[in-house]
Order: sequence, then structure tokens, then C-alpha cells
Amino acid sequence: MAASPGRTARRRFWLVEPLRPLLRDGFAVAGLAVLVVFVAVAILAPWIATHPPYEAALTPEGRLMRLRPPSGEHWLGTTTFGHDVFSQFILGFRIALLVGILGALAVGVISTLFGVVSGYFGGIVDDVLMRVTDIALSIPTLPFAIVAVGLLGPSVNNIILVIAILFWRNGARIIRAAVLTERERVYVRWARAAGASHLHVILRHILPNVFRVVFLWVTMSVAFAILTEASLSFIGLGDPSVVSWGQMLNTAFASGNLRSAWWWVVPPSVALVMLISALYLVGRAFEEQANPRLRRD
Amino acid sequence: MRAYILRRLLQSLVVVFAVTTIMFFLFRIVPSDPTVMMVERGMSEEARQALLERWGLTGSLWQQYLRYLANLLAGDFGNSFFYRMPVWDVLLPRIVNTLWIAVPGLLLGALIGAALGMAVGWARRGGAVERGGILIATIIRGTPSFIIGIALLAVFSSWLGWLPGFGMGNAGDATGIARYLRWEFLLHLILPVLAVVIYFIPENLLLMRSGVVENRTEDYIELVRAKGVSDARVAWHAGRNSMLPLITWLFPALAETIAGIVVVEIVFSWPGIGRELVLAVTRQDYPLAQAAFFLLAVMIVLANLAADLTYGKLDPRVVYR
Repeated sequence: MAASPGRTARRRFWLVEPLRPLLRDGFAVAGLAVLVVFVAVAILAPWIATHPPYEAALTPEGRLMRLRPPSGEHWLGTTTFGHDVFSQFILGFRIALLVGILGALAVGVISTLFGVVSGYFGGIVDDVLMRVTDIALSIPTLPFAIVAVGLLGPSVNNIILVIAILFWRNGARIIRAAVLTERERVYVRWARAAGASHLHVILRHILPNVFRVVFLWVTMSVAFAILTEASLSFIGLGDPSVVSWGQMLNTAFASGNLRSAWWWVVPPSVALVMLISALYLVGRAFEEQANPRLRRD
Repeated sequence: MRAYILRRLLQSLVVVFAVTTIMFFLFRIVPSDPTVMMVERGMSEEARQALLERWGLTGSLWQQYLRYLANLLAGDFGNSFFYRMPVWDVLLPRIVNTLWIAVPGLLLGALIGAALGMAVGWARRGGAVERGGILIATIIRGTPSFIIGIALLAVFSSWLGWLPGFGMGNAGDATGIARYLRWEFLLHLILPVLAVVIYFIPENLLLMRSGVVENRTEDYIELVRAKGVSDARVAWHAGRNSMLPLITWLFPALAETIAGIVVVEIVFSWPGIGRELVLAVTRQDYPLAQAAFFLLAVMIVLANLAADLTYGKLDPRVVYR
């Protein structure tokens, strides 16, 4: 029975169905195209990079090649330490997407768990969980990230941990609201009356129907995660063992070359703006579809 | 109504208490030993003990916690390890500095954003104005605030050389309010405020636009139109009704701005509370970092309280329970 074609088709439907409105929205398609390119660069990064990221380039006379503008040897010039900007920039794609995707997955799991349990069971469980959410919501976002990463130590793991702690809060509320409307639907009551267990109802009826909301929140969380990592790295709390765009900008800023070495500053800035905007464009298309009063047709 | 205010006040107190507790244990449990950096090598045991006592670091964690709460209630945040003076004296001028860029930046950003959002929302659906407005707003919204700051620095400070982009200028021997009423200070103020304004326009624009789009199909708009007034006046009707979410957004936004302004302060080397928090964390100056974080959290709680209370004043449909 479980393998009958009708069932698998339906199961696939709720995974694919939320993606459909995206294809009708021109901006979302553009955003998706940017994301595809960025993911491809991130995967191929080690093969695209031309130099080791922290290799100091030397002239034939053995002098450090500081702040060289773009050339055939160094496509995006060199930093004040003679490092190849192009290679650092390309490797930055990996860290941005790694932190973005892992952070957002953690956020998605926690906020779905919180939202579904709170919304579905209601009563005291809901009250307690929502009070916890209220308290979590009054923690100032960036200051908490600064303090926590400062205390725990700057590493990619700790940055992802902080992102998970910070961004489940709003997600839990949004998903809870979606669950509340689903819970009251007639078919959910029938399923319960027919003897279905809570777990069955949640997995088969509630989750598929709030999947669109979860997907929206995960998409936005990727953007928030990338933004948080970039901000922390720019402040100087990035993981020193990897290369990220925020760190490149921090090094340029701290060494006083922000204003002169455009080839060092522009690529990471443009990449950050493109990546985060692309995610927002995709998220916006979801929101417009979810709100019938904003829909055009 | 009175019961509602009382309940919200009580709730806020509980939240502040919880945040304070989380913060205390975060600061005490995570670092291996907060005294390492301040206790100098070769210091005698008595001198070390005296120092620890002065900073309130003796006794069990519980005793420290209770003492910390008692001091907090008395308004005593302790002394900064780095500046060797009361934390409050360090932070107060920094908060004033932050407000100087946060408040004008937020208000101007909200005003300009709302006006643009009304125009975009009222424009023809699917037209160039609407699509262009949304695209540009989304891209600016996707720009991290430090990149806005870097771009402003590059254009106005380096390239054109019109405006200073570092610190707040030399105050000389001016004190009190006179420190802020200098031409030089105002010049230094422009770029950081501009960065905050640009940062806030898109969010307001998009919020206002959704409101206007939702309202423009309502019956009362048809009625206003039927009265034969100008198109701008009809738009204003829809706009005014879309401002409610914007106004309630304003209070939490102020708190979030003050908290999120950290990176702008760092780009422009502006001596505000956010930059001080970063410095305190990197210097392991825990009393200072803790107090700065506490103040930011309290501001968010108060802002949410203010938003809830004004919402009811503005929207007669809200009933307090």
C-alpha cells in the first residue's frame, strides 16, 4: 500500500508544490538563478581558486607584492599582506553558504518543533512555550551574538550555534500561527475521531500543510545567518581558520586600506549584497503568495 | 485597561529578570576564569583576594548571583576592569552618542520610507514604478549596514572629500550640551545618520506598500473615490490606514536600531554603546560588557511595552483584556 503510485505522487506534491509560485514571479526566478550560480561556485571553489588563500606573493627579487591592482597573475590584485584577493574571494562562497545552510537548517528544525508542539497541543504547553519565546525575543540580536561568540571563542561552529539560538524565535511564532489554523480544519478533527494518533496527525496532516511557511522561514534564515556571520567577521569575531567575505572586509578596514584598494573591497561587498538580496527576493515571492490580499490574480 | 497595563508591566519585569539571569550565568560559566586577565602575575595572595572582593568575585556562584541582583536593584553595575571607573559613568555618554545617530536616522528613514512606500503601493500593479521600487528596496534591504557605511565613506569621504568619516571630531574643552552644538560635531554626524536612514528606508517602504496595496481594494476607498476628490487624497486615505503597523514597528525598531547600530558605529569609529560593547568583549571587560548588554535588553523590553500600549490608543478596534 505504502508504495502505491498515488501516495508517492501526493507526498512529492507537498515538497514541490511550495516551489511552484516561485516560478511565476520574475524576481524570484532571478533570485533562484543567482543562488544556483553561487552554489556552483561554492562547490567548485577549490578548483577555481588560483592560489592558496594565505600565500604571500613575492616579486622575483623576493619582495612582498603588497596591494597590487588586478593583473594577469592576480586577477583581483593582492591584499596588503600580498595574499591573492581572487582566491580568498572564491573560497568565501563556501563559508557563506555553509554557515547559511547549516544555520538555517538548525533554525528550521527548532522553530518547527516549537511551533508545531505549541500550536497543536495548545493549553499549558502553548502558554509555557510562548512565554519562553517572549523571553527569547527580548534578547538583543547582534549584541547577543557578539557577547556569545566573544565568550565561546570565534569558530564556525560557535557562529552557527549562535545563529540557531537567535533566529528560531520569530520562526516558532509564525509556524505556530499557521498550525493553529490547520488544527481547526474539519479533516484534522475527522482524523482524530477516526482514531489517528497525535503523531500521525502531525506528520501526515499538519506538517505538509505548514510546509510552505517553514520553507519561507528557512529561506529567510539563510539570509539572516549569512548576514550575522558577515557582521561578526567584519567586527573581528570571525573564525580565523577560514576565509570569509566579512573577514576580508575587516582586514581591509583594520589595515586602513578600505578607501584605496577597491579591488579588495568591492568583490566581497557585491557578493554579499547579491546573495542576501537573492534570498530576500525568493522569500518575498512566498510572502506575496501566502497573503491573498497582496496577490495580483 | 488598568489591569492590562499592570499585567504587561509585570510580564516585562519577569522578562528582564530572566534575561539578567541568563546573562549572569553566561558570563560566569563560559569563561574559564574572569579574574585571569586582571590579576597580575606575581601578585600576593592577599592582594589578589582583596582585588577579587572589590570586583564581587568571591564566594560561590549563588552568592555572587544574589549579590549581583542586589547591586543591580540598587542601580550599581560595578566597575569596569579596563577603565577602572564605575560602569555607569562609562556607558552614559556612550548611550547619548548612540541616540544622536539612532533617533534621527530611524525617524528620517521611517518618514522617507513611508512616503516612498505610499507612492509604490499606489502605483499601477505590475508597472515599472511598482516593480522597480520593490526590486531596489529589496536589494538595499539585502545590503549589510557596514557595506552601506563603507560605500558612503568611499564616496563622500575619500572620493569627494566632502565629509569626515571618523569619530566625532575634537571637542576641545567644551563640556555638557556644548560638546554637541559644534559645527564639527554636526559634520561628523551626517554620514553615520545617512547610513542608518538608508538602512531603514526599504523596510518601511515595503511595509507601507503592503498596507496600501491591501487597503486600496477596500470599500471605503471606493466611497472616497466616488466623492470625486483628487487621486492624491484617495491615496492618503489608504496611506493613513496603513500607518498603524508602521507606528507599532517604530518602537521595537528603535531598540533594535540601537542594538544593531553596532556595525555602523564601528565603520565610522563612532564612540557609541554598541562599539563599547564590542571593545569590552574583546578586552574581556566583563562588568562593562554585561551592563551594556543589560541596558540594550531593557530597552527592547520597554520598547515592546510602549508599542503594545500605543497600539490600543491608535486603533479603537483593539480591546484590552
